[in-house]
Amino acid sequence: MTNVLNSILANQPINQSAAQKNNSAFVFTSDGKIKPMKDKGQLLPSRVFGSPVEYAKDLKKDIVSIGKAAKGKANDHELGRINDLAMKLGSLALASYLFVKNPLKLSKAMEFVGFGTFFASMSLWPKLAIQAPLKARTGVDIHQKYIDSQGRKKMLFQDPQYVLTDLYSRDDLDKMGKKLGVSENLPDRDNFIKQRAQKTALQGNTLWMMTAGFASPLMSALMCNRLEKPIGKAIEKYSMISSEKAMQNGSYQSLSDRMKQTMSLRSFDSYLAKNSDRLMDEKTISELASKIGGKANSATIQTAIKDELAALKNNVKIDESFVRSALRGKVDDSVFAALTEQQKALLNKAIANKSFTGIADILSKASTGSKKEQVKLSKELTQILGKAKLSAETPTLSQVSGSIKTLYSNIVDFASGKGILDRYINARVGDQSGTYIANQWGRVGDKLIKALKLNGKELKAVSQGNIDIIMDKLAALASNDAEYDKVIKQLTKLIGDYEKTTSSDFVSMVQDKAKTVCTSTSNDLRTNGFVKLADKISSAAKKGTVENVINVNTAERISGAQSSFYRLLQSLDVFRKAKNGSLERQLASMLGEKGVTADKETLQRMVKACQDLVLNATTTDYVEKLKTAGFNLSEIEYKTVMKALFDSEADTTIAESLSRTLGADKVDDVLKGFTSYKKEFMSKVANWQNGMTTELSRRTVDGVTNAANAVERNNLAGKPIKSLIQDVAKQTYNSQKWLKIFGGSMLALTAVTLLAGLAIGRKGKTEKQVEQENKVNG
Amino acid sequence: MVYSIGVQNQNNGSIKTLSFGKKEEGKRSKCENHDALMYDEKRKHPITTNVKIQADKFVNAFTKYPQKGLKGSKNSNFYEFLTMGMVPYLTGSATMIAVFNLASKFFDTPAAVNASKLGKKMGLGVLFYGIGKTLSKKFIETPVNLRYGIDVNLPYKKVIHELPEQGNTNNLVTQEYHKAYESVDFPRWDLFYNNESFGPDRNSYFEKVGKKMGIQDDDLDHADQKVKPLIKEKVIKTKLFSTLSSYFWAATGVGIAMQKPWENLVINPAKRVANYKNYKKVAEAAKEKGMNVAKYNNFAKDFGKKFVESCKEFVNNGHKGMRIAGRSLLGLAVGMTLLGNLSTLLDFNKGRGASSQASSSLIDESKEKVVC
Repeated sequence: MTNVLNSILANQPINQSAAQKNNSAFVFTSDGKIKPMKDKGQLLPSRVFGSPVEYAKDLKKDIVSIGKAAKGKANDHELGRINDLAMKLGSLALASYLFVKNPLKLSKAMEFVGFGTFFASMSLWPKLAIQAPLKARTGVDIHQKYIDSQGRKKMLFQDPQYVLTDLYSRDDLDKMGKKLGVSENLPDRDNFIKQRAQKTALQGNTLWMMTAGFASPLMSALMCNRLEKPIGKAIEKYSMISSEKAMQNGSYQSLSDRMKQTMSLRSFDSYLAKNSDRLMDEKTISELASKIGGKANSATIQTAIKDELAALKNNVKIDESFVRSALRGKVDDSVFAALTEQQKALLNKAIANKSFTGIADILSKASTGSKKEQVKLSKELTQILGKAKLSAETPTLSQVSGSIKTLYSNIVDFASGKGILDRYINARVGDQSGTYIANQWGRVGDKLIKALKLNGKELKAVSQGNIDIIMDKLAALASNDAEYDKVIKQLTKLIGDYEKTTSSDFVSMVQDKAKTVCTSTSNDLRTNGFVKLADKISSAAKKGTVENVINVNTAERISGAQSSFYRLLQSLDVFRKAKNGSLERQLASMLGEKGVTADKETLQRMVKACQDLVLNATTTDYVEKLKTAGFNLSEIEYKTVMKALFDSEADTTIAESLSRTLGADKVDDVLKGFTSYKKEFMSKVANWQNGMTTELSRRTVDGVTNAANAVERNNLAGKPIKSLIQDVAKQTYNSQKWLKIFGGSMLALTAVTLLAGLAIGRKGKTEKQVEQENKVNG
Repeated sequence: MVYSIGVQNQNNGSIKTLSFGKKEEGKRSKCENHDALMYDEKRKHPITTNVKIQADKFVNAFTKYPQKGLKGSKNSNFYEFLTMGMVPYLTGSATMIAVFNLASKFFDTPAAVNASKLGKKMGLGVLFYGIGKTLSKKFIETPVNLRYGIDVNLPYKKVIHELPEQGNTNNLVTQEYHKAYESVDFPRWDLFYNNESFGPDRNSYFEKVGKKMGIQDDDLDHADQKVKPLIKEKVIKTKLFSTLSSYFWAATGVGIAMQKPWENLVINPAKRVANYKNYKKVAEAAKEKGMNVAKYNNFAKDFGKKFVESCKEFVNNGHKGMRIAGRSLLGLAVGMTLLGNLSTLLDFNKGRGASSQASSSLIDESKEKVVC
């Protein structure tokens, strides 16, 4: 446009087509004169969120602008928009990098959530805290956008000294005037309203600049904080569903094929071709083992692969020509020729026996040196022959590439199948955060902490391990019927869900697939001569095989968490019974059955022991019969405590509570697992016979053999409830503290902004003066 | 020459004369109160000039401009709005650091340690983002300045004559620091004409740039007309690529800040002093035993060492995907900078030059022109 104006001013002829192409603001009349084009600028409707189509159109324009700018032809508006786009691209690139860097799915997702919430906050804060309240009160939309005749979208009030208020319709101005309280009789009212709108927008935009820096990061962080749990749950569900789907036959095959393609032979082939001359020495073997074994994600396999690769050797024929060629330079042909018949026979025998010492001995003795020299020579020749054999045996990569390729192909088959199985197992019981088992444990902890109703100070004390508060709170929870029923119902629901997810169906699926994957690979490897490796993957002996490790690990993960869940129920049950006195009565009656009458103090000590056990005890405490835990229980007392805790099937407050909340018919389902856990615990952990050492723990007493090993017993003991409460309290305390600081800051900032907004758009001294003058002038 | 204008006080109706300019004895009148390039100042004192401009903007952005804006002053302008953009940039950075660091002191040891590790990385991320974004622009701007003499950041002092407000007729002249090429639609060409800093002629600046661009002396009769479109083209390209690359460099900076070595950086000065005292004790004890102890790394050394380690980790460590991701991000930043250098320093249009420009020109070359 400037150029057109310059041309007109300079009275120069205008290139019409070029002017039109440049979207000029001028048109040409039929007689060749020019006149200004009709103004096409208009206000755009305000929305909190723009439509995706508009975004797509704007993005397309921005991309075109980049192309123009790369040719040196963009304008200020286009460069400004490119800056915004570049900022988003840079942030997206960063989010992508952090996505790859973070190992956990939730952290990966949160990188993009952070990216999204930050830009959303930048856009939402001024809209919600400044623009909307101001518009409601004054009618002025401080972020009013307009589109100019060239199709450029801009903010109407961006430049306070260049505001196209002419774009406002009479209706708009009237609405604003009314809200701004502008007298209807004011001469030049429209201009007065426009000035007020301009001033309001300037004040609003300044307030935006002053607050945005605090608001955007705070808002974004708070949004991320609130979104983390639902996103984690969504990821957990997605992982469970997708990994289950992948295990179905059709999907399994196609997914397995796809995984195989990612581990394609082509790149491995090119590695082999590139290194074809390399000898299969230790370094090469290690490198290859890590390249091949790395695919299977198993250290056991990697070691076995190394052994298999080391076994790949050339066949070396030890005969006279080998000996002659190996010793060339050291032993001349004349020496061989000078051998006596007897020596010749001995040499042939030594060669047939592949005895390098024998060969060296005969040849050295045939030499002309002294005895001492002959001995020295014999040693030297033995070494030379050994080295020659090793060298002849050690193949180059190209010599054994066929076997290596076969091995690689077998392992790729195995890795692709195992990969899908690993995903299936990990989504449910994987030993990392974000899996179903970890989240379910978190959910249980959350419910419990809520039920304990800890205030800020108590939460801090519990997070630091204050056992007294935990005891008091558990006792308070146990004495309140409604609260107790509520938490038992919530926990049994979560435990029921866990039981269902990790049921025998899941375990059989793991076992079946592990068997299929491992057996098939094992057979292939065996056929191809890699027997040791095949045995490591699957064999009749089972122990130590990959197949067995998969099954055992899965079972241990399931039982470990299961015990922790039941231990929690057990704790609540014990506290409830301690509170209502039934535990003390039960202990007294059990002792009575054995002919022991206990005094009140002893009974209370035993009740305290029960509570402390469920809260704190580890397997060692059971082995030591609570000696180090400070409870000096006699054998009969210990046995009674254990019987009361783990050998009383029916006498449980859980059953009463569930019967009240779920109905008597559903109680049995829930209690089945609980009862079986207690029985197992009694026999394998709480038994008096269980001693410190493996030998003691396995001994047979009264015809009962304790077959539990240390891992099994630890899994049965589960996580001490005190640790669970302390861990969750820590997390909750930290999270609440963080929320208090930054949520509080956000609230304060919002309040200050809204209050400051109230001072905006009011009549200033000058406006009042103008209105006053108007009144005076009538 | 001295310019004078009368301003009426709205309160009492009195008229005050405001004068601009200065007349020196025996010399031509020289108007001081007009916009002027800061070419000489920047050339002689590049750092202090920059600091002076940034300090002026910083102070005003936090004090004068918000005050004017919140009052709804009629003298508030777009420059002030843009300068106030510094406020959310800086307060936002500080808030971001606070979000990840402030609460950790209330946590207990393991949580506090973990939070502090992340907090350190996030804090450094904010710092490296700013440094990466600012410094990286120089990778493109400086070669353009050295090669063609086009300084896209060349500042000029703009004199603003404000309108009296609420009877205030004092201090109506203020100053702003703009850049001659801040607008590609309306560069301040006028400031380059007759500017003695570039030479004695009216077009000295354009001649100088034109020559650097390889235009023959014979073709420089009307250097401004010839060179202005070419400068504009270079400025647009420089701005495009410096903008695009700056955000990738900023992202790379954050990526480097996210590496493990930073977790062990001790930032707390009190802790550093305590560590140093401890080191001295250990070193003395070792000396007595005739043993050598490694040299103490002061903060700068420690920081530098960790920076190098983090850069290496950014491109080399971790699994394959991570290495690819790190190298890709760095590659994007470096690639965009190189592309910017190529695009601005090499003239791909040289062959088509005149004809291509003529075809897109608004002046119809085939018709007779009358200049009046």
